[in-house]
Amino acid sequence: MTGIGAGLLLQLGLGALAVVTALLAAPSLRSRAGGILCTLIAVTGFITGLAAMLGATGGLLIPVALPMDPLLLAPDRLGGLFMLIVSGVGILVSIYSMSSTSGPDASRTAWVAMPVFLVGMQLVPAATDSVSFLLAWEIMTLGSTVLLLADHASRASVASAGIWYSAMSQLSFFFILAGFAVLAAASGGTSFSNLQAIEPGSAAANVAFVLLLLGFGGKAELVPLHVWVPRVLPEAPSHVSAAMSGAMVKIGVYGGLLVCVRLLPDGPAWWGIAIMLVGGASALYGILQASVSSDLKVLLAYSTTENMGLVFLGLGASMLLRGYDATAAADAALVAALLLAVSHAAFKSTLFLGAGAIIHATGERNLDRLGGLGARMPVTAVAFGIASLGAAAIPITSGFVAEWMLLQSLIHGGRQGGAVVSIAASVAMPIAVAVIALTAGLALLTFVKAYGIAFLARPRSVEAADAREVPSLMRISLALGALSVLALGLLPGPIAALVATTVSSDPTAAVQTVGLGGVSLPGIGAVLDPIMLVVLSALVAIPVIVAIIVSARRHPHRTVDLPWGGGGSRARPRMQYTATSYAEPLVRVFDDVLKPSRDVQVTHVAESRYLVEHVRVEQTVSDVIETRLYRPVLNLFQRYGKAARHVANGSIHRYLTYSFVALLIVLIVVSL
Amino acid sequence: MFETFFPQLIGLCTGALLLTSALMVWRHSLLASIRLLALQGVALAALVAVIGIAEGESELGLVSLLILSVKGIGLPWVLAYQSKASIKQIQESTRLNPTAALLAVTLLSILSYVVVSRVFGLGDSSTGHAAPIGLAMVLIGFLLLISRRRARSQLIGFLVLDNGIATTTFLTSGGVPILLEFAVSLDVLLVVLILHVFTGRMRTKFGGTAVDQLRELHD
Amino acid sequence: MSAIIIALVQVVLFVFLAPLLMGVIRQVRATIEGRAGAGIWQPWRDLRKLLAKNPVRGTDSSWMLRVGPVALVVSSLLLCVLLPLVGTIPFALIPSDLFVIVSIMLIGVVALALVGLDGGTAFGGMGSSRHMTVAALVEPTLLLSVYAFSIPAGTSTLSVIVETRLLSPELIISPVSVLALVALSIAIMAETARLPIDNPGTHLEVTMLHEAMTLEASGRDLAWLEVGSWLKLAALLGLVSNLIVPWGIVTDFSTLGLLIGVVSIAVKVLVLGVLLSVGEIFLAKVRLFQVPELLAGSFALAFLAVTASYLVA
Repeated sequence: MTGIGAGLLLQLGLGALAVVTALLAAPSLRSRAGGILCTLIAVTGFITGLAAMLGATGGLLIPVALPMDPLLLAPDRLGGLFMLIVSGVGILVSIYSMSSTSGPDASRTAWVAMPVFLVGMQLVPAATDSVSFLLAWEIMTLGSTVLLLADHASRASVASAGIWYSAMSQLSFFFILAGFAVLAAASGGTSFSNLQAIEPGSAAANVAFVLLLLGFGGKAELVPLHVWVPRVLPEAPSHVSAAMSGAMVKIGVYGGLLVCVRLLPDGPAWWGIAIMLVGGASALYGILQASVSSDLKVLLAYSTTENMGLVFLGLGASMLLRGYDATAAADAALVAALLLAVSHAAFKSTLFLGAGAIIHATGERNLDRLGGLGARMPVTAVAFGIASLGAAAIPITSGFVAEWMLLQSLIHGGRQGGAVVSIAASVAMPIAVAVIALTAGLALLTFVKAYGIAFLARPRSVEAADAREVPSLMRISLALGALSVLALGLLPGPIAALVATTVSSDPTAAVQTVGLGGVSLPGIGAVLDPIMLVVLSALVAIPVIVAIIVSARRHPHRTVDLPWGGGGSRARPRMQYTATSYAEPLVRVFDDVLKPSRDVQVTHVAESRYLVEHVRVEQTVSDVIETRLYRPVLNLFQRYGKAARHVANGSIHRYLTYSFVALLIVLIVVSL
Repeated sequence: MFETFFPQLIGLCTGALLLTSALMVWRHSLLASIRLLALQGVALAALVAVIGIAEGESELGLVSLLILSVKGIGLPWVLAYQSKASIKQIQESTRLNPTAALLAVTLLSILSYVVVSRVFGLGDSSTGHAAPIGLAMVLIGFLLLISRRRARSQLIGFLVLDNGIATTTFLTSGGVPILLEFAVSLDVLLVVLILHVFTGRMRTKFGGTAVDQLRELHD
Repeated sequence: MSAIIIALVQVVLFVFLAPLLMGVIRQVRATIEGRAGAGIWQPWRDLRKLLAKNPVRGTDSSWMLRVGPVALVVSSLLLCVLLPLVGTIPFALIPSDLFVIVSIMLIGVVALALVGLDGGTAFGGMGSSRHMTVAALVEPTLLLSVYAFSIPAGTSTLSVIVETRLLSPELIISPVSVLALVALSIAIMAETARLPIDNPGTHLEVTMLHEAMTLEASGRDLAWLEVGSWLKLAALLGLVSNLIVPWGIVTDFSTLGLLIGVVSIAVKVLVLGVLLSVGEIFLAKVRLFQVPELLAGSFALAFLAVTASYLVA
């Protein structure tokens, strides 16, 4: 048995051990024991993934009696990369969740589901045939659903989220199953090496592409299949949201890459354009919804849609460019998409864990009731701040490098050697750049809002004023997350070069390391060295800081209650801008897209209609796609459901009769 | 010397044409639209003059002067024939929100580029490459016709459309015979005059020329 | 080595030039409006005054009030280091790449917005919110307009773009470049809070953007905020002037060339500042909710510039 196989086997064993431990351990020990075992699973996965990504081969063969290709778990380089992402998030989440000692987070159900979820996610990228892929996929979905529902007893909204999640997961699974079935029927085998033999332009390939894109797009939170996201991620316990958004969503991305890069490369041009369209729409829609949201976890959930949209935009661009033989730009776009996925795993799981810390400390996730947490929870504030910078793609964080590379590949993709590549590319590239630019701008606003409203200024509620820093294990996990965001941003060169080996046939032509961990794209002629940037900033900052020190010695600052109070002396904390008011200009600007519903009620004083007693303003921004697209369909189903109720009245005899009749029909059809 | 700058000059003239069309969609005020229309007439005249010099045809110089006098001076003057104080206050309330209209302009320009290059081919000459601008102007003129409420603003849309047709013909065929251009210009002038008289009388009689309100006259 | 010298010269020059530029802009405006004006050295005197005061800080304000202004100044100083102002000789590992420059500028934008929020008053939040909304909507224009410039040069490195325009001046009057320049100018006006997006002369108006965020800052905190904003304006005007009139910029290092470069960029920036000031006389601030319209217009221009340069050339 090879090292990879041993790693996978060890993970399965540890997973089983964790399940047993969770079932048997005393409640006081459960979180510690479960957390340690889950951390071990994740660490094993990390090492296995790293080995696979560096090129180690081998795997785990699972013998089956059924007449089909054997189930083989053997991750290739790309699979290894995704195992690495998933397990990296897994380590953070496991450490974080160890400190929860009571409540649903520490329940037996949750600790049984956690290892199942983690192992399931690890196995999907390791699968080399569609059967084991689907099997692992279902294990992952099962684990996450149980984790989500662990808290269902105390809050009604969790149950509703659970229904949405199950329905959308099954829809995704159905599409993926159908897609693989089409491919398997056309190629005559279930293993990926068989499926690869299909001609990309054929009808079967086209149908399978659409089905698989729908399936994986649903998991990767792409518009219009994202509707579960704003319900599920906020309602799940925060470390589960972190694992879902940081890791599980990446499995959807892995699926997309599997289809577009591995199984069906060199597809027709419309595939690339379709993926770019879906990705661009998701990016814009996600960030718009995120920017106007006042619920911290809803904001993070929608921003996940945005980031995945950008990943798919990069993937689509690389497919389109590869079709026109602009290999250098295509490789750069693909590497950028992968880097974005990696960095998203780092910053988004940190952000969700930070949101969890805020909820732990205040019990609030409504930004309008937070504020002033920076002084009360310094570690959380710094970690959340660094991760926010990553999400807003500000330099020396991981998000910036990925977005920079994506933009570089796009602006150089439209033409090659002075000649226009194609009309489609020269129209698509500027639009893509514009979409990314607007997305980046709105992301900046979103995360300035999230960080500024929650951590700066004065507390807007008693809960926020009484907040205390979270326990040490949570702090460690947050610090690790923030460090990884910085590390990915400071050393993009080696990481990008490593990532390039997973997808590019000629990795050194696509990406190279320069200077101290800087990255260069030789095919495009672009260079970026974040460490040099830091050095340069330090050099220009030195005189400024010296000036400040001198000035501070001569003129120390005075602390007063409220310096200027915006001109008023009684400026109470309630008079501060809230998250809702912060996004108000944006709601107005994008009025036509967001369709907010506003309700203004003016109550007059009884004596006079000209005097106002109080004014009540209510503004809700609902998900337009949900209300316009899903509601009609759901209503239709509901009507049919009601009509079908008397067919299924709960009598066991009637159901047995149905089964019997169905069996008879099948037998008759077969004999014909 | 002229040869090196010829493509740039053609580009500058066509760029000005497109820019003025886009700005007309942008601005609400009628006076601004009329001024832009005048500017567009001047740019069109300059375009014809540049083509004339490049091809050494003195006839085109004459056409250029004609265009300058009719489209650059005559038509805008007729349209703006009203006291300055009152015309300054006329603001167009469009059917389409201006931001969406501007994005529509960009999409229309791309569409015309794609259509011309796919259907006709752009050719190698710099005039051929600029030809899609004419089509874009025609489309923008249509957009103005559709989205504006006032009769006079719609008239401006019609004139942009007409300018677009003229631009296309000059750029693709190197110009129409002077007589034809003369006749067309007179036609347009006539239409504008008639409409202007009508709108003037309607305004005195009914108080406004918003097309939606005019429809009520029909009933 | 020559890159380091040029960067050093640029920083020193612009630290000196930026307050002077503000003084000139204000003085020109005052003169045209028939006021006496405070003279072109007033910004320097203001700075000296602010630095010699004890800053007042609220009990609820966090470290952001101290770090934010410094971050803004550092980001503006980095702009002065990286942009091709005096010379076009870039650093090998951090060339004046468009996207890097924009992101460095955004560090300053974010710092200012967070300082605005940190005060814990309604005004600060209002300014911060509007500032970020404008910044978000400006970004597409900013990136696309320089994207349009980058196409003839074949790279997004600004110093190479300026060099290309120096070598083939006919590019400067090409329609693509004119469209992109107009779009870029509108974007920069919005980015540096000038008319018609924000009125730098107002205080305590309901419409203000930039001023609202700095209300709670005082003493050296305020001084750094002001210097950062001035430096940003000066550096961006320098970039625009070099795009319009690239002559005089140092491409091959020599002492005489450096001298010419310094003088020429100083003259260019000051002339552009005078033009800006004269232009602003004729402009009124547009309503806040018409700003998106203006930005959409500039975006349309930038987009047309990019597609035109792909499809025409």
